[in-house]
Amino acid sequence: MKLIYRIMLSLAAALIPITALWATLFYYAMVGEINDETDDSLDDYATLIIQRCREGRPLPSLNSGSNNSYTIEPATAAEIAAYDGDQYCDRAVYIPEKGETEPARVLTRIFQNNDGRYLKLCVAMPTFEREDLMETVLIWTISLFGLLLLVVVAISILVVRRSLRPLYALLEWLDGYNPGMGVVVVPNDTSITEFRRLNDAAQRAVTRSEELLDRQTQFIGNASHELQTPLAVISNRIEYLMDHTSPSEEQMVELVKIQDTLRHNIRLNRTLLTLTRIESGNIAESSDIDITELVAEIVESLDEVYETRNISCHVEMGPHLCIYMNDAMARMLVTNLIKNAFVYTPQGGNIHITVSSDELCVSNDGDEALDGERIFDRFYTHTSRQSAVGLGLAIVRSICSYYGFEAKYSFEESMHIFTVRFNR
Amino acid sequence: MKILIVEDEPSLRELIERELRGEGYVVESAHDFISAETKIAGYNYDCILLDVMLPGGSGLELLERLKSMGRRENVIIISARDSVDDRVHGLELGADDYLAKPFHMVELVARVRSVLRRGRSGGALTIEFGNIILDPSSRRVKVEGRQIDLVKKEFDILLYFIQRPDHLIDKAVLAEAVWGDYADEADNFHFVYAQIKNLRRKLDEAGATAEIRSVYGFGYKLTLREE
Repeated sequence: MKLIYRIMLSLAAALIPITALWATLFYYAMVGEINDETDDSLDDYATLIIQRCREGRPLPSLNSGSNNSYTIEPATAAEIAAYDGDQYCDRAVYIPEKGETEPARVLTRIFQNNDGRYLKLCVAMPTFEREDLMETVLIWTISLFGLLLLVVVAISILVVRRSLRPLYALLEWLDGYNPGMGVVVVPNDTSITEFRRLNDAAQRAVTRSEELLDRQTQFIGNASHELQTPLAVISNRIEYLMDHTSPSEEQMVELVKIQDTLRHNIRLNRTLLTLTRIESGNIAESSDIDITELVAEIVESLDEVYETRNISCHVEMGPHLCIYMNDAMARMLVTNLIKNAFVYTPQGGNIHITVSSDELCVSNDGDEALDGERIFDRFYTHTSRQSAVGLGLAIVRSICSYYGFEAKYSFEESMHIFTVRFNR
Repeated sequence: MKILIVEDEPSLRELIERELRGEGYVVESAHDFISAETKIAGYNYDCILLDVMLPGGSGLELLERLKSMGRRENVIIISARDSVDDRVHGLELGADDYLAKPFHMVELVARVRSVLRRGRSGGALTIEFGNIILDPSSRRVKVEGRQIDLVKKEFDILLYFIQRPDHLIDKAVLAEAVWGDYADEADNFHFVYAQIKNLRRKLDEAGATAEIRSVYGFGYKLTLREE
């Protein structure tokens, strides 16, 4: 979930109940006020009528334009006895002008006229206007608070997005960072202290890991380099023994075994040096390399070397695939990929190689899927093969990451599939 | 033929000296920049083997000095640095060959021989052994004056042998030299054997006086037939 949605959801979750509560309170306060007003005006009206009645002035005509109505009648003894102040109630009242019954607010008051007689005055005010008013108040309350909520959320989105811009810049920078390919300076043009600190921290972390990586690469390079000469000396001394001292057959067998082991070490050492060179970006100039042609040439040579395995190798070529890269690197990439297939294909197995417009795909027979996460790691081998150095696919990955290609492994229909996508 | 070895690693220097002496060359050696400079200033050599990284200076600087003096010595750079750039740089400075460490002694001997032959013959680069004459530039082989047809790999193998006559060649080394990286993880050497078999048959049919002999189970040697 994106941070901005999470913030908005939390904000909405907090705001919705609060605005709802506010709206309810506001609505009831308004309704109370309206009822109050109605009762007040009924009170005024009743007082006016009683005053006129006592002064003997003519009472307001029933049809005075308003929908108010009143009745005056003598109060019964029971009513007088039960009376204790004004009574307000809601009930249906017949309005003679309209000739129909309407809900109304009614005030009942018992008073003494000048003759000392008790009279009961009922003043009624139809409430349909009040109902209209309350309905209007309700609609407006809901819509205004809804609008308020929306506006708050919209403004928050804008504000948060604007404030988080440095964070997104940092994320984009991190996505673009490729270990071992050098450090680009973090865009740090924000004035927000926390983001500045975050950017600085990210910069420091990346610079430091880059330094460590550099040092590690250099160490491996130096170590391999230092090993070169002693290895060569040992190998040459053994060669001398074999060539010049006519050893017995038994001694010869031993010497050959030592040579084999030594050769393996020399190769390992050389491969490590190659890896170091690729990883430190020390690669000579590039030219357009015809991958299609290269594949054909390499397959022919490997077919010869692995002839006794009876591997059937099918090559599917699309249109010519040309990639701008270093010649030696291209050869190393394709050779390692295809040689890996030959080395690990069982006797009589199959290899399929497909060259399409932007991909080289090499698949070979296999029993079970390999660990796709680790297959391109150094020294990751699933079988113990003495002659394997275990660096072929690591070289493939190094070259790919240097050129920004994509190396993938998958296992489908009992085939290991290695794909290099040349992102041009 | 006088050869100067400029190499600071004593063990490697000793090996090279012994190997070249065994080949019948007069060998002198220098272990650092100063002593090498002194030797070069005082004597003439037919070939100089030059290490790049030396105590007291760079081998490439010595090479530049030699060339600026207009000296005609053949120079083979032996260096632990094996990138195309280093190689190209060395050859541009006027080196005749560039050999990356680690190398096999037979390889070094072959290179020395080839460089000296080039210097001597002034361009004619054919190599002879017995009645076999091989021309690396035109990739032609003649036995007893008659040309024989070899496929690419057969020719490469013969070239490798004829540059190292009478030396024991390990099958694995031969495979690596002729097939390159393709062969380094091979589980057997049938492919080498298949080519050798064809090559032997062709040489035999042409009546060559040299033959490729198997040595125990692991290697070959190009020798003259004992008749």
